Amino acid sequence: MPGSPQQLIDGEITELKRFGYTPFGDAAPDWAGMWDLLRGDFATLQRTHVPAYAEMSPWPQEGARIYMRRRLLADRLFEECQELYRRLHGEGINTELVEAYSLARDAYEEAVLDFGKAREMLEGVFTRSVDVVSASRA
Amino acid sequence: MRTFKTYDKGDVLPEDYKKALINLMCFQADSEYAGGQRVAENHRYATRPEEAYRLSKKVFEEMGHAFYVWNLLQELGVDVDARLHELSHNPENPDPRKVNVINGFRKENWSKFFECWEDVALFSTVVTPAAVAFLGQYRECSYLPWARVNVRIHKEEYGHLAFGVWASKRCIEFGGEKTREFMQQRIPKFMQMGLGFYGRPSAGGERSQMFDIYYEYGIKVKKPEELQTEYLELLDSRLKEIGLVMPAGVEADYDMRMGYEAEEPVGA
Repeated sequence: MPGSPQQLIDGEITELKRFGYTPFGDAAPDWAGMWDLLRGDFATLQRTHVPAYAEMSPWPQEGARIYMRRRLLADRLFEECQELYRRLHGEGINTELVEAYSLARDAYEEAVLDFGKAREMLEGVFTRSVDVVSASRA
Repeated sequence: MRTFKTYDKGDVLPEDYKKALINLMCFQADSEYAGGQRVAENHRYATRPEEAYRLSKKVFEEMGHAFYVWNLLQELGVDVDARLHELSHNPENPDPRKVNVINGFRKENWSKFFECWEDVALFSTVVTPAAVAFLGQYRECSYLPWARVNVRIHKEEYGHLAFGVWASKRCIEFGGEKTREFMQQRIPKFMQMGLGFYGRPSAGGERSQMFDIYYEYGIKVKKPEELQTEYLELLDSRLKEIGLVMPAGVEADYDMRMGYEAEEPVGA
């Protein structure tokens, strides 16, 4: 089947949308909707129910928002990479675009790793906030 | 320590040297790009958000490696935009007369290896160390612009290996002992590919004539036996880190390799 450079990007976008990838736009972030696509990553054998966004108290809710904002930043840098990838295919290989693409990839990498660090932060918040609830009930 | 003549940007290259150099550089660039296409196809197996985002980063990096090398090839008179066009417009079956892709990165071979996210994690853990060792040698090769670019590529290949270790640990963290055993059983199929990555031994009846030429010119600087030692050391250390064991008695699969040791290089 004949392909195109855009086909690869479309495929990437489709896969990332499963986890809430949001293309750049003016709309305010749908935190609750985005969280629904991400919260499964916080389920463990001990924490089978991960609360919905509206069910969270301010502490984990803030952590969740920071985590999602990191993801949104990664989305923007993902789009930088997309744009340069398209230009390399459209305009041809040249040093300026190759090096620009390299910078964009490095920035995207940092954003993805920051997204991972935010997941660890939120994981810690969930653990501590559960402990607090347990202690207050004891 | 071996010594050989080195060449920098703008130097006049001997014709035979240039032909051999272009052959290997095209093989690397074309295969990196095809590798990025294959990694993108594996996206469907990602079960968690961070895994999906890390994999998309890897896709862009593989493409970036191709762009680095193609950019140098352009200076050597190769029509790299034609190669890019062929690969991007025929991702599933690029014409072997136009591009030179490692067999393992051709869709019909690659897709047989992957059935689940654990396979994706294991590929980066078990096969990538071979790429780290194999491509790592080019950092010291006789064509200095290519050597410098491979310093950058090597750093990112190490990152891909770290991704594999991270992803494998996460699989076991969520799936427990059952998943660890499942993954352990799947190591040999990837290890066969990893062992075949750097080619047949440099001595013996099946040795490659092309290898001798590349080695003589200092385009390749290590023998397959040396690369195998590096690969196995790296693999063993990473598997131990994950809690997996390197299986014994696995034989190399040279068929998953190439094209590029052919006596006549493909048209550049």
